[in-house]
Amino acid sequence: MQSNKLSLRTEKRDGLIIVYVGGELDLEVASQMRAALEPLLERVDQRLVINLHDLAYIDSTGIGILISILKARHARQAPFDVEQVPVHIRKLFDMAGITPFLAIAE
Amino acid sequence: MKESLVKTTIPARAEFVDLIRLMLYGIASKMKFSFEEIEDMKVAVSEAVNNAVVHAYGGGDGEIDVAFGISDDELTIQVRDHGVAFEPDGLGKPAPLEGKSIDEIQSGGLGLFLMQALMDRVEWKQEGGTSVTLAKKRARSEETA
Repeated sequence: MQSNKLSLRTEKRDGLIIVYVGGELDLEVASQMRAALEPLLERVDQRLVINLHDLAYIDSTGIGILISILKARHARQAPFDVEQVPVHIRKLFDMAGITPFLAIAE
Repeated sequence: MKESLVKTTIPARAEFVDLIRLMLYGIASKMKFSFEEIEDMKVAVSEAVNNAVVHAYGGGDGEIDVAFGISDDELTIQVRDHGVAFEPDGLGKPAPLEGKSIDEIQSGGLGLFLMQALMDRVEWKQEGGTSVTLAKKRARSEETA
């Protein structure tokens, strides 16, 4: 079954790659998300930004993907930010203890 | 509200987990839980179903039974599989990322942690598979108190 529940859009500007993640990020679409992000992790000369403004739902699998991006970028000493996190998702990040590791912009 | 039980069975595959979220949403709305409580329960229930999808049948075919127990006091959700018993080792532990450095953090155990943090009660049983029961108490309104 093909699913359109996750929407991914990438925008590239000078020194910046913004990935807009919308819809539902869960176990079903985890591999789709990983495959989309994988090639961007190596772009160490660019600041990688994940925008979550249109994200309606995330589970521990989705949070796990953010953790692996965070670690991959950290290991490469490459900049990574998360921006526009909806309130109820921010609450999960806080609970999970991931917030202090993410540079979250409004 | 009269005590009621709503039961369903889904194939143990990731693409069916959101169906359980939709059912949860419908039932919890009927019970007048708040938006925030419903969002919390959606995540907790999905984590329980995810565990069954990932661990119970080793990637093979299987089924997951979900039973929503509706009463005046609380909503319970039982998620049950008939596969390999999954032994949780993170019950009662603190947030898995707390006090760690970026190199140390990992997402293992996060689902289990969230289930406990988001619900009032989580019970784990091994009985021909794994059965997880999640419960959320209803806030009593003035009229019914």
